[in-house]
Amino acid sequence: MLALKELLGSKLKFSLIALAIGLVVSLTMVTSAMSEGLLTGMSGAKSSLAADALVFQRDTYPTLERSILTVNDLKVIAATPGVMSVYGVGHTFATVGSAEEPFDVRILGLGDRFDQLPIVEGTGEPGPGEAVVDVTAKLEGVELGDTLTLTPVNAELTVVGFTEDRRYVMVPTLFVDLSTWEDLHVASVLGRVEDEGGADAEAGARMAREFTGSASIAAIEFEDGVSIADLEREFDGSYALATPADSARAGNGMPEMILAVGGIQVVSIVIGALLVGVFFYITTLHKTSQVAAIKAIGASNAHLYRELIIQITILVTVATVFGTALAIAAGAGMPPMMAFDPDPVRWATSVLAIFGTAYLGSLFSLRSILRIDPATALGRTEP
Amino acid sequence: MLEVRNITKSYGEGRTRVTALDNVSFTLGKGKLLAILGPSGSGKTTLVSIIAGLLGPTSGEIMIGGHAVHLRTAAQAARFRREKVGLVFQDHHLVPYLTARENLLLVPHLSGRVTRTHRQLADTLLADFDLTARAAHKPSLLSGGERQRVAIARALMNAPEIMLVDEPTSSLDTERGLQVVELLKAQVHERAMTCLMVTHDPRMAAHADESLTLIDGRATR
Repeated sequence: MLALKELLGSKLKFSLIALAIGLVVSLTMVTSAMSEGLLTGMSGAKSSLAADALVFQRDTYPTLERSILTVNDLKVIAATPGVMSVYGVGHTFATVGSAEEPFDVRILGLGDRFDQLPIVEGTGEPGPGEAVVDVTAKLEGVELGDTLTLTPVNAELTVVGFTEDRRYVMVPTLFVDLSTWEDLHVASVLGRVEDEGGADAEAGARMAREFTGSASIAAIEFEDGVSIADLEREFDGSYALATPADSARAGNGMPEMILAVGGIQVVSIVIGALLVGVFFYITTLHKTSQVAAIKAIGASNAHLYRELIIQITILVTVATVFGTALAIAAGAGMPPMMAFDPDPVRWATSVLAIFGTAYLGSLFSLRSILRIDPATALGRTEP
Repeated sequence: MLEVRNITKSYGEGRTRVTALDNVSFTLGKGKLLAILGPSGSGKTTLVSIIAGLLGPTSGEIMIGGHAVHLRTAAQAARFRREKVGLVFQDHHLVPYLTARENLLLVPHLSGRVTRTHRQLADTLLADFDLTARAAHKPSLLSGGERQRVAIARALMNAPEIMLVDEPTSSLDTERGLQVVELLKAQVHERAMTCLMVTHDPRMAAHADESLTLIDGRATR
């Protein structure tokens, strides 16, 4: 097989070519993974909620921060035909003041569905006053067993576990049970604690009563054969609903960010693929006299095309494996705050684009070689 | 037997039309070495390319062993070259990443299969051309004369009916050039082939059995 002989006979040359293509693959993959990571950092906690749909208070979609569903709302939603199960998801803000450098967090209350969190350390079953924390909080010095003091709500949470890919608006998320969330939410809404001149205890107690059993949104699962459109008809405008993925990609500047990130990914794939295509066009063109000589000896055009395709397939496959490994290694070396979230579909897209342009570039080049005068292709110079 | 009948080759149209070969005719029998002489641009390489089926003539006929070469498709011409023609280029054009032996085996490889017989033939040819010790060397490690000998040996791998040799001595000194021509002539006689050798050097042409001169595309014998 000539293709393999040439690869093995010019190891340095083809290693450098594979390195160059591998770096292009790696670049497109890293760009894609970091872009996806950015989106995960913005809305991972929301998009990963285990549910067929998230139900928001009317006129608040897609702003999780504004939605409130009362205990009665949750009952109505649970009783709606087509809804198989419901659990509340509460949201509130806080600042961890006990850290050396105070940092903001988002707090999500989960009603009885902690099994959905991927636990990387500790436990995934927090009790009252306990929290499972996104692992990026470790960068702020948080450790398992720490007691976090939240300001200005003046509450404490004990860290019992760490989860991953559950940030929201780029800050770590603290997952607590719904009763703990209620306490924190009431305190947060009241704004200031009593001893700092905030609302009095009676007002707090009244609000707490009103919030009892409530949540910010409801995460629901459908009965078999039921769709979002079916439930929208059932709700008849009383509530807004969307899939976790859709709601994660709405609000908080997400549409604009998705457009920008998508643009970066498309541009990097297009440039990378074009670069490889042009590269192969030129490297094949450099073999003009060699190809012409082999053709003159008796090689058919089909034979020459076949050898070229084999060679490119081997070369780009090796380069892709190398580039992918390099990108994964780069991702593994990144700190958790630098979100890196490889997307297999985008990876496959960029690899297919690179293979496609590599074939096109080289085959177009070979076609050009085979069409020119053989004496010219051989570089013949009459003395 | 090679018969070249009224071959004309033109490029371009109208005012830019250039006639590379103008009504060239000749015949050459088996076991004969024909030297084609002529100045630069006289059409020597064009003639060889047409006989090899690498170029089509504008008009005229090429008959080899009674078969019309000029009527073949590109794929048929490629097969014809694989099976019947031995080509030696001016700059040897050995495949740089193959050893001398592998360059010889390239010919049967292009036909689809390399057998033990092919390998034995390659070794015999390398021995005939005093290249056994250089069989495992790549072209970059061979001298100019050795490369040209490998190129001639490669051209003999398919036991060709016709050898087309383009300026085989242009990159060699006179002594080595004459050695190559003598070697070629011996093979032509031994194998009863028909051989055309393009050269610009009358000293090399003097060793051929016959000669033909091309000037501005016209042939004189």
